[in-house]
Amino acid sequence: MRHFLRPGWILLFLLCSLRGRSQDSASIYVNQILQPSADSVRTNAIHRLVALRDPSTFPLLMAINDKKLYLLDNKAVTTDSKPSGDGNYRLYTVYPTYQLLQNSSGQPLLLPPGKLTAVDIPRADRLALVGIAPLLNLFSNDVQKRMLAYSQVGNLQDQSTLQLVAAAVNRETDENVQRIGREALYAARLYAAKDETNAKVYIDSIALNWSDNAATLLTSYSKEKAFSPAAGSYALAKASRLEKKYDNLQRIQNLFSGLSLGSILILIALGLSIVYGLAGIINMAHGEFMMIGAYTTYCMQLVFGHQAGDWFYVAALPLSFISAGIMGLILERLVIRHLYSKPLESLLATWGISLILVQTARLIFGDLTAVKTPQLLAGGWQVAPHLTLPYNRIFIIVLTLVMVLLTYLMLFKTKLGLQIRAVTQNRQMSACLGVETRQVAALTFFIGSGLAGLAGCAITLIGNVVPDMGQTYIVDSFLVVVTGGVGKLAGTIVSGLGIGFFTKISEAFFQAVYGKVFILLFIMLFMQYKPKGLFPDKGRIAEE
Amino acid sequence: MKTNNKPLYYILFVAIFAILLPAAYLSGLLSINTISIWGRYFCFAIAALGIDLIWGYTGILSMCQAFFFCLGSYGIAMHLVLQKTSLPDFMAWNKITELPFFWQPFHNAGVTFALCLIIPALFAFFIGYVLFRSRIRGVYMAIITQALTLAMWLLFLRNETNLGGTNGLTDFKTLLGFDLSSAQVKLSLYLVSFAVLCLAYIACHRITRSKFGKVLQAIRDSESRVSFTAYKTANFKLAVFVLAALLAAVGGMLYLPQTGIITPGRMDVKASVEMVMWVALGGRGNLKGAVIGALLVNFLYSLCTSWFPDSWLFILGFLFVLTVLYFDKGLIGLVATVRQRIPGLHFKTSQTTNRYVADSK
Amino acid sequence: MLLTVNNLSVSFGGVHALHLDHFSLGEKELRVIIGPNGAGKSTFLDIICGKTKADSGEVIFKGKPVLGKSEVQIAELGIGRKFQKPSVFPELTVYDNLLLAVKTKKDIFSTLFFKVSPAIAERIHDVAARLQLNTVIYKQAGALSHGQKQWLEIAIVMLQDPTLMLIDEPAAGMSDEETEKTGALLLELANTHSIIVIEHDMKFVEQIANHLVTVLVRGKRLMEGTFEEVKNDQRVIDCYLGRTNAQLETL
Repeated sequence: MRHFLRPGWILLFLLCSLRGRSQDSASIYVNQILQPSADSVRTNAIHRLVALRDPSTFPLLMAINDKKLYLLDNKAVTTDSKPSGDGNYRLYTVYPTYQLLQNSSGQPLLLPPGKLTAVDIPRADRLALVGIAPLLNLFSNDVQKRMLAYSQVGNLQDQSTLQLVAAAVNRETDENVQRIGREALYAARLYAAKDETNAKVYIDSIALNWSDNAATLLTSYSKEKAFSPAAGSYALAKASRLEKKYDNLQRIQNLFSGLSLGSILILIALGLSIVYGLAGIINMAHGEFMMIGAYTTYCMQLVFGHQAGDWFYVAALPLSFISAGIMGLILERLVIRHLYSKPLESLLATWGISLILVQTARLIFGDLTAVKTPQLLAGGWQVAPHLTLPYNRIFIIVLTLVMVLLTYLMLFKTKLGLQIRAVTQNRQMSACLGVETRQVAALTFFIGSGLAGLAGCAITLIGNVVPDMGQTYIVDSFLVVVTGGVGKLAGTIVSGLGIGFFTKISEAFFQAVYGKVFILLFIMLFMQYKPKGLFPDKGRIAEE
Repeated sequence: MKTNNKPLYYILFVAIFAILLPAAYLSGLLSINTISIWGRYFCFAIAALGIDLIWGYTGILSMCQAFFFCLGSYGIAMHLVLQKTSLPDFMAWNKITELPFFWQPFHNAGVTFALCLIIPALFAFFIGYVLFRSRIRGVYMAIITQALTLAMWLLFLRNETNLGGTNGLTDFKTLLGFDLSSAQVKLSLYLVSFAVLCLAYIACHRITRSKFGKVLQAIRDSESRVSFTAYKTANFKLAVFVLAALLAAVGGMLYLPQTGIITPGRMDVKASVEMVMWVALGGRGNLKGAVIGALLVNFLYSLCTSWFPDSWLFILGFLFVLTVLYFDKGLIGLVATVRQRIPGLHFKTSQTTNRYVADSK
Repeated sequence: MLLTVNNLSVSFGGVHALHLDHFSLGEKELRVIIGPNGAGKSTFLDIICGKTKADSGEVIFKGKPVLGKSEVQIAELGIGRKFQKPSVFPELTVYDNLLLAVKTKKDIFSTLFFKVSPAIAERIHDVAARLQLNTVIYKQAGALSHGQKQWLEIAIVMLQDPTLMLIDEPAAGMSDEETEKTGALLLELANTHSIIVIEHDMKFVEQIANHLVTVLVRGKRLMEGTFEEVKNDQRVIDCYLGRTNAQLETL
């Protein structure tokens, strides 16, 4: 909080208090624009307002510039640039204050433009605004435009411009844009500063404010515009510290991406590993169960439509598990049960199945479909100025955690789990002891495929839904299984996270592709020491 | 080998492809494109022989044969590109002014041919050395080689690797001074491919019948028994892996001038599994099966894609499943079972399956 | 001593599979190892032939350490192994199975250009005849009966001509007549080779145990002595008559 008392802020308050003087004349001109006695009066009024550069008139000028100035009950209003549903727009008053209009129940007032009386301003008059367009954009209701405007406002050593920028920063609602604006102000003061203490104060302010551009700005200041070598080196030191901090945050961001990628790999590989351990099946169609899960999510979106909001995703979570699981069951009955303990044969047969499923999906859904991210998961958790952890990735990680936990409980705390582990270790013996190995295998297949389906549902949050999406993940998830040791929960988790992290970290150093080659070499070397994965079986069961 | 004492099939096979097809072209019954397409199938069959050696005979499922095939093709392609221009177009687009160092040797035809064999062999040697030393086998081997192919595919897709990226290398004019678009050159390439296929078959046949070949089959049956009988199985596996890589590379080398294009698509996951499937379909552990499988699947492919394009993947998928589930030994095995079941139909079956069996030379 | 073993130990997942303080075998000695299930008999042979890695201890064969060597190196030293579960090449003919076993140069080039000499062919047929495999010599090994497979594997070990043969349960799945034949063959082989035999069948053990019998229990050596001594030892009888389970449970 300390930095709020810095001179930059004091300056801002000073500038704002200057506003009152032009108020009276501005309101006259505004009236002349809204109800002109003659065209020439209006033209004159607009030119006057442009020259005045009174921030309070800017929303009005913006509305004129955008051709969005309307009258509602004799009040001047403007609308959002985009409708807020069904062609209705939110309304804002433009003068003397810029405010969202509300209906009696406190909800935003929504109206179609047709119900409003447009105030027609001739093109010639609007052209008067071209010169101050960047300044106007500082007050736009479009965040992107405002952000861009700060880089276009021009020389801030000009007092009137500085005043406007200060006013804009003051009323700014978006944190990131405000940061950019503040930086522009600080920079202006820094360039103007003529003594060491002042300069250092502004350098500190810029560093504390810490926009994307801060390090570059300080570096260029130290090289070109610094009034003394001491100030220059001070700025440079600050810049390099910022850069280091930024790199560290970037690293955390990478680790986080690695964590979420690893989570997805774990979700896919979990089923793969259990099924392989239990039945000796290399299921190349496992990725297609993921695809089925993703398309289930897509279908839910279609079924629920726009109205239902996020509910489609809530429904999709269990349904993607069930639909992929049922598909898995069907395949198990039709094909895969003939291939138990023949891994290489099953690899080829399931690849055939995979081809069929992919082609079927392509014929039904076409080549590219996307699921929109649920509202609740849009955006992210801003941990620090340059560290945002997207909610969708957090969700994926939590989902994986829950599923891993459930799988653990299923494997180690239920009778089914006991049977699964028994069949995994010794099929014949389990059968002799009265375990219905076929039923156990079928159930395992259901669960394994279901987990893949769930992974598919999760993937829709971060990627497109395409028919051959499964094939992009299948090789990676097999690597996870192989590295972790077949049928090993802990191995799958460790190697899934390891490969996820490693991929993202190596992507930071090399490009994505080289990262992949690197991982592969690493795994090959790793297997020199641990040919049966991280957690191999020992003793008699290890044979075969 | 059961039909080994029936040279008739071999004679028929040679007669059809070495005399009948060229004759049909010369008399105007077949277009030169059809001839050229079959020439390409022969290249696939050569690679399939290698897959049969490594998988069918030795029991090692290698999924990187497609990669070796592409190495052969890319080598020749680089030479052909340099025949035409000193700096390939795509490099100019990527603002590269100087030919990368690894392109330099491909100016010379002799060096190119040598490199096309040496590079895949070295790759195979390195991969095999690392994998076999750590006793990676079975499924693990399949998955790791598949991942390797995937990684290489990704590398070849990149523009930075200077191999033409997604578009690959194409638009060739001459090979050793011969115009690649001329019908005569195409026919010659067809005949050369066929001759190489025959030679490769004979060589593989010799190998499989030698004691070396028996060791390979013994490794497939029980690798530990072979070790305890004092054979260094890793060396044998490495040898056959390199041999298979060489066969794939030779196939790739001959394939390129006949298609006129090579893209990374030839070595994606689909392509590499499909190559294994040729052998599974024809009948693994049987050289005739490998050749028949490669020819038949590719022939089917060209039929299907022109008649019902959407259905090819369905057909291929079902073929995969059916073959694995019901015809474990592939077509060759199927023919053998049919013959055993119906001895009275012996003559008739051999006639109806003539086309397939005869293919096996 | 041909083979000396000291303080050999191996454990799987925390369970001691074998903990052998001492074991030694002389030239041309036939030693029988008996013991209840899980006594570590097969594990012992697995360690000697290089299939399983020991945790600690030493195995000296012909004055050379064996531990840490690969299966091939151990086989080249002159140790041959027949497994409990017959391990032959099912898709090769009996003749090819035997051909691969014959002691010749076994590198890639020699095998690639290998020609069967009359001497080798004769040896193969000779061994096949001794094990009554001559009638099935061109059959696929996978098509043989269980007993024939056992014999085929013994034949493979014989053709390797090792100094030490490790024979794991040779009589399993054989008829009485076949068992007796196997016993006679082992006794005959013992004139020229050192042999360790693992066996459960006491009648068979009695037939072949012309020297010492070692009893292993729970990975440890319980006792060593002639068949008569072993047969009458109270601890051995206990082990084989049910008290084993009670003892195991208390552990």
